[in-house]
Amino acid sequence: MSNVWAVIRREYLQRVRSKWFIFSTIAGPLFMIGVMVVPAMMATRSAEAERNIAVVDRTGVLYDRVAPRLEDAGYTVSRESWTSDVVPELTQEVTSDELGGFLVLDDETLATGRAVFYASSRPSPFRQLAIRSAVSRSALEKILDDHGMDSQSLMGGGELDVELLASGGAGEGDPRFVVAYVGAFFLYFMLLIYSVSVMRATLEEKTSRVVEVVISSMKPWHLMLGKILGVGAVGLTQMGVWLLSGGLAFSAGLPALVAARPELSSMESVSQYMPGVGLLLLFGGFFLFGFFMFSGLYAAVGAMCNTDEEAQQAQMPVTLLVVVPVLMLMPVIRSPGTTMSTGLSLFPFFSPILMFARVAGGGAPAWQVVLSFLLMALATVGVAWVAGRIYKVGILMAGKRPTLPELWRWVREA
Amino acid sequence: MNGNDFAVRLDGVTKRFGKHTAVSSLDLEVPRGVIYGLLGPNGSGKTTSIRMIMGILHPDEGSVSLFGADADETRRHRVGYLPEERGVYRKMKCLDLIVFLAEIRGIPRAEGRRRGTMWLERLGLPEWGDKKVEDLSKGMQQKIQFIGTVIHDPELLILDEPFSGLDPINQDVLEEIVLDFHAKGTTILFSTHLMDQAERLCERVCLISRSRKVLDADLKELKAQERKGLVAVEFEGPDRWLLGPEVESMEHANGTTLLRLRDGADHQAILRRGVEAGATIYRFDLVEPRLHEIFVRHVGASAAEEAGVPQDVIRGAGVMGGAR
Repeated sequence: MSNVWAVIRREYLQRVRSKWFIFSTIAGPLFMIGVMVVPAMMATRSAEAERNIAVVDRTGVLYDRVAPRLEDAGYTVSRESWTSDVVPELTQEVTSDELGGFLVLDDETLATGRAVFYASSRPSPFRQLAIRSAVSRSALEKILDDHGMDSQSLMGGGELDVELLASGGAGEGDPRFVVAYVGAFFLYFMLLIYSVSVMRATLEEKTSRVVEVVISSMKPWHLMLGKILGVGAVGLTQMGVWLLSGGLAFSAGLPALVAARPELSSMESVSQYMPGVGLLLLFGGFFLFGFFMFSGLYAAVGAMCNTDEEAQQAQMPVTLLVVVPVLMLMPVIRSPGTTMSTGLSLFPFFSPILMFARVAGGGAPAWQVVLSFLLMALATVGVAWVAGRIYKVGILMAGKRPTLPELWRWVREA
Repeated sequence: MNGNDFAVRLDGVTKRFGKHTAVSSLDLEVPRGVIYGLLGPNGSGKTTSIRMIMGILHPDEGSVSLFGADADETRRHRVGYLPEERGVYRKMKCLDLIVFLAEIRGIPRAEGRRRGTMWLERLGLPEWGDKKVEDLSKGMQQKIQFIGTVIHDPELLILDEPFSGLDPINQDVLEEIVLDFHAKGTTILFSTHLMDQAERLCERVCLISRSRKVLDADLKELKAQERKGLVAVEFEGPDRWLLGPEVESMEHANGTTLLRLRDGADHQAILRRGVEAGATIYRFDLVEPRLHEIFVRHVGASAAEEAGVPQDVIRGAGVMGGAR
């Protein structure tokens, strides 16, 4: 087995050291973070003067409710009482940049939540939202309190006690829906990228003729195994780096960010989209089994072809096995309990994506998950047996691509 | 000799590709410690035979054994193989590639690194160890691959057209290394269509033509057998005396005339005729036939042409051989 180890080591180091790997590992999360955080940062980053706002409360009852909310959103608030010339005075302060703007609350505010904000430039949508919600929530709270209602509970979003009659799926608003959908897609990308690279590596080895030297020193099966394990380890490494940096960003970075910029506190709601440890482990398991099955098949495709063009065509059936579950993703997450969903997600080649989606969406009983892993294990052995035989014959074969009957003969005779 | 005395032994090996028979019931015995040349025109079955010895192809009939044992068990540690179509991992650093090739044949990494460094120095590439293979010229890549072939110090070296693609200086370097291995007792089997190299290096040759073995003999004995009947002459004056009942055919090149005599003919009679005719004879030589001559005679001129050897070179080489 020492030569399998040599192949794993070569494959792993060669890939991990490559510029592509380093780039994609670092750039991937940076890009994601960039997409989410940078606009928020840009929107909230502003001069100190802009954070100073005055509130003119003509109702006389809203200021005490509005001010703390605005302060939570990062504003420094000062109270101005209503006089006939307060508006020109404050306008003067705004134009001279002493004040970021001023908010006028009147009876209409109490009735409809409508208020006027005077500023020299239009505030960002983010800031507009913060001010608007501070005003409307204050007005609502005032009205509810006046009627002797429990404004705290009502405005906290109420409470829903769910009594499950049957295992249900996740609606689109449910955080679990997002986790299931995004997770399954991510799984699909990783599976496709890394299994196809096993095919490319096999093809390259074959066309560059290195394989003749290597095969004279080791069994084809060992080479294939080493290749798959090496590439798989690269995939796990990449995901490990992402997981670690993501976990760090979430556990240390986010609180620090929120502490520094309270107006970003809404970002803490991201936490509900964070998968738990159990789900991450399942993700890893589904990736590994999926990768073993698909990379075995892709390795066989690579071994039976001689050119990239041939491989493009020959990989179609295998690629279908990866793509079809993605097409089924939506219906399966929405109604995970149907016979159709259960059946599809138990089909070993579909399990990595569909069973993961059902688990993450909260719609798969444990026994089905266990069963899917058993079936995937069986399928992996089957793939290894068939693909190993095709690989063994194909890797040294030149000339035209084999037909299906020829392939079958390879499998039988190898 | 029992099977153990042969490094390589093919027994009635046949390989067909569809309707085409690439190798037809080939028997081959390569004694231990010799340099053995597998000669033949392109498409004669040399590479197919070598690939069967290496277990890359499986014979349809017959058997292959290495060192008297089942070939599969032996190959990994004891055989070094340089395929005809060279191949390297282009993205790897040279030394890493060499260490990897050593490792899959059971040499620990540190030892592989040490040997690799030594070989790089020996082949004049010491500063290239850290460079990627793809940055090297084709000839240098070939040297790297050669190092990969011998890095585990094999008992049997199988080299398929090892000299093709190398400049004369590097051909000499390679020849020297092959001879070094020979001195250490390594068995060397190589295929070539370059008769010069084969003639200089081989102790024993096997000639394959059209998938069949034509000749399999010790090179010295072979030459002794073929020695009679070839005379190189250099002279001035009349030339009619050259023609006589003894002479079967005649060729001229570069001022040298090569006479092929009929079996049992007396070369002295020709010499006497020349003196009587008043020719000034500078040279009258019974020449040892060059391998090229033998090759052409046995394979036939047509096959030699198939091998890509132009007709004038065939003649020239025969004559020049006599001139040495």
